[in-house]
Amino acid sequence: MPGRIAGLPAAPGIAVGPAWRYRPRGAGAIPAVAIASRGEAELRIRGAAAASATQLQALAARLRDLGRGGDAEILEAQALMAIDPAIVDEAVRLAHGGMPPVEAVLEAAESSARILGTLPDALLAARAGDVRDVAVRVTRILSGAQVELPAAPSIVVADDLPPSLLAEFPPGLLLGVALAGGSPTAHVAILARSLGIPAVVAAPDLLEAVRGSRKIAIDGESGEITVDPAPEELQELADRQAVRGSRDRAAAALRGSPAATADGRRIPLLANIRSPEDAARALEAGAEGVGLFRTEYLFLRRQAAPSESEQEAEYRRAMEAFGPERPVVIRLADIGGDKSIPYLGRPEEPNPFLGVRAIRLAHDSRELLLTQLRAIWRAAGAAGVTPHVMAPMVATLADARLLTGLRDEARREVVASGADCPDRMVTGVMIEVPSAAILAPELARLVDFFSIGTNDLTQYVLAADRGNPSLARFQDALHPAVLRTIAAVVAGADGAGIPVAVCGELAGDPAGALVLVGLGVDELSADAGSLDAIRACLAGFGDAELRALAARALAATDAETVRAYANELLSAVR
Amino acid sequence: MRSIEVEVRSESGLHARPAAVFVRAAAAYASTIRLENMTAARPAVDAKSITGVMAAGVEKGHVVRIEAEGPDEGMAIEGLRRLLAGLGEPVGH
Repeated sequence: MPGRIAGLPAAPGIAVGPAWRYRPRGAGAIPAVAIASRGEAELRIRGAAAASATQLQALAARLRDLGRGGDAEILEAQALMAIDPAIVDEAVRLAHGGMPPVEAVLEAAESSARILGTLPDALLAARAGDVRDVAVRVTRILSGAQVELPAAPSIVVADDLPPSLLAEFPPGLLLGVALAGGSPTAHVAILARSLGIPAVVAAPDLLEAVRGSRKIAIDGESGEITVDPAPEELQELADRQAVRGSRDRAAAALRGSPAATADGRRIPLLANIRSPEDAARALEAGAEGVGLFRTEYLFLRRQAAPSESEQEAEYRRAMEAFGPERPVVIRLADIGGDKSIPYLGRPEEPNPFLGVRAIRLAHDSRELLLTQLRAIWRAAGAAGVTPHVMAPMVATLADARLLTGLRDEARREVVASGADCPDRMVTGVMIEVPSAAILAPELARLVDFFSIGTNDLTQYVLAADRGNPSLARFQDALHPAVLRTIAAVVAGADGAGIPVAVCGELAGDPAGALVLVGLGVDELSADAGSLDAIRACLAGFGDAELRALAARALAATDAETVRAYANELLSAVR
Repeated sequence: MRSIEVEVRSESGLHARPAAVFVRAAAAYASTIRLENMTAARPAVDAKSITGVMAAGVEKGHVVRIEAEGPDEGMAIEGLRRLLAGLGEPVGH
């Protein structure tokens, strides 16, 4: 049935093409392979294993080229599993004994997975799932990849998609991704953005709507999905694409010039990074520094906390990439919430987002934060820069004092060791918890800056778990309740004369960026891929226009109205 | 046949990234190579198998025995010994 349905934008771009339904299959649903001889079985098993490894390796290489080293590593490990001799040789042995090749591969992989699964270490045990995934991939190739791939270039439609499936599509065959489930922050959405494939997610009516359709169109910037678009709708999409193309080229031309409003109010644009490997991409996008260096990657997927020297080396790489003129704001590890770490040995909490998260770990795991702070002091000393640090999840003045106390203690220890150590650390707190926003005037006197994390602030202001898909309607940071909270934070910061940055997703959304700057926010930090668009947007409006927009937004009572106000303004430059 | 015993000094032992680096290096030699975790007293595994090396559960401070047999066994032992020593050094120093 023709019509439009709404999803959430996940990767920019417009795609038009036939919908191709991806159906996950259990291992049992894979067709048997007819073989003429046991020798042929061996050849085909080894061939399928090698082909799987090549596919995974090729996608990993593409991600590395895009500066996504962290994502690439997962796929590289899976590539090694595909050609693991313990699995492949065992599968061949079973096939020689008369077992059909598909069963032989699954059986052999299962023995290895089972051994990993019984290891006491939770992280290693989790790799058992990776082994099983890889085995299913090998058997798919073994039984003929064409059963899993569309015959013509298509938009893949599914409930959800395993991220590594994107690896199986030869370039050109995958026009876009539309998912009934998922979220814009899911791994598959991140991968689609990295690869430049348009994607729309969280469109609950999708599967019903595309049934029997000839063609669908998706707009990864607005989140719209059009089923069997009429000729005039296709024309409109083509126009939209052309306008965006010239907008993107104009935006890229602004790179290198500092971001500012039309009348010259400077708004530094910084990048959010997840590892030093992202630095190159951020610099290329014209980032004026790093507003959020997420350090969790150093602590996850391992058996023990990273050592001080390992952390120092990583922080130093990022600091050296940006040099003394461009700040790199390191966020102390945001552990807890949805990111738990087995080696801390913390009891499971019924409500982890309201539990011992981030700075709250300082009571029981004090050494963890002290080690990180010492590593930051040392890295800055070695790199010859002034370190910038912020703590997540600060709720009270005591939390902020705890942070500055740990900072000073870490410095004394580094100085005592004789290492080079800077005189000061620019120290900030993240504003994510409503109590911190309410206490902003007093908190502002204890620290050097605020950085607002809009994702968590929204979750806590509206009391809606951001991981719960049935509460997705509460996750719009443009909600006036959130904006009024931000306005109060800005007022509190102004009273003490400290700057306010925003490093949540709202900063990377053009509508959000305009409203935030209108509210008096001083700096924005977003994914490197968003910076061009934000820079171009800001250059299109004067400070007074944005202040007027913010005033209207503050008077509104729902997020939709605020978005409509912002889009009205944006349509002038689009 | 050549063999050597080495203490693993990398922070995360032979898990995750170091395991992949080690397996890729081992796979480059023609010889048959086995790895045995002496500290944990686990059975020897194929050093060219990522699942095998992970299952050996090698942590920082564990002593492993590497055994190579084949045309390039000397080079394999020396190469892997150096690799393990390098994994223990802090990155970037």
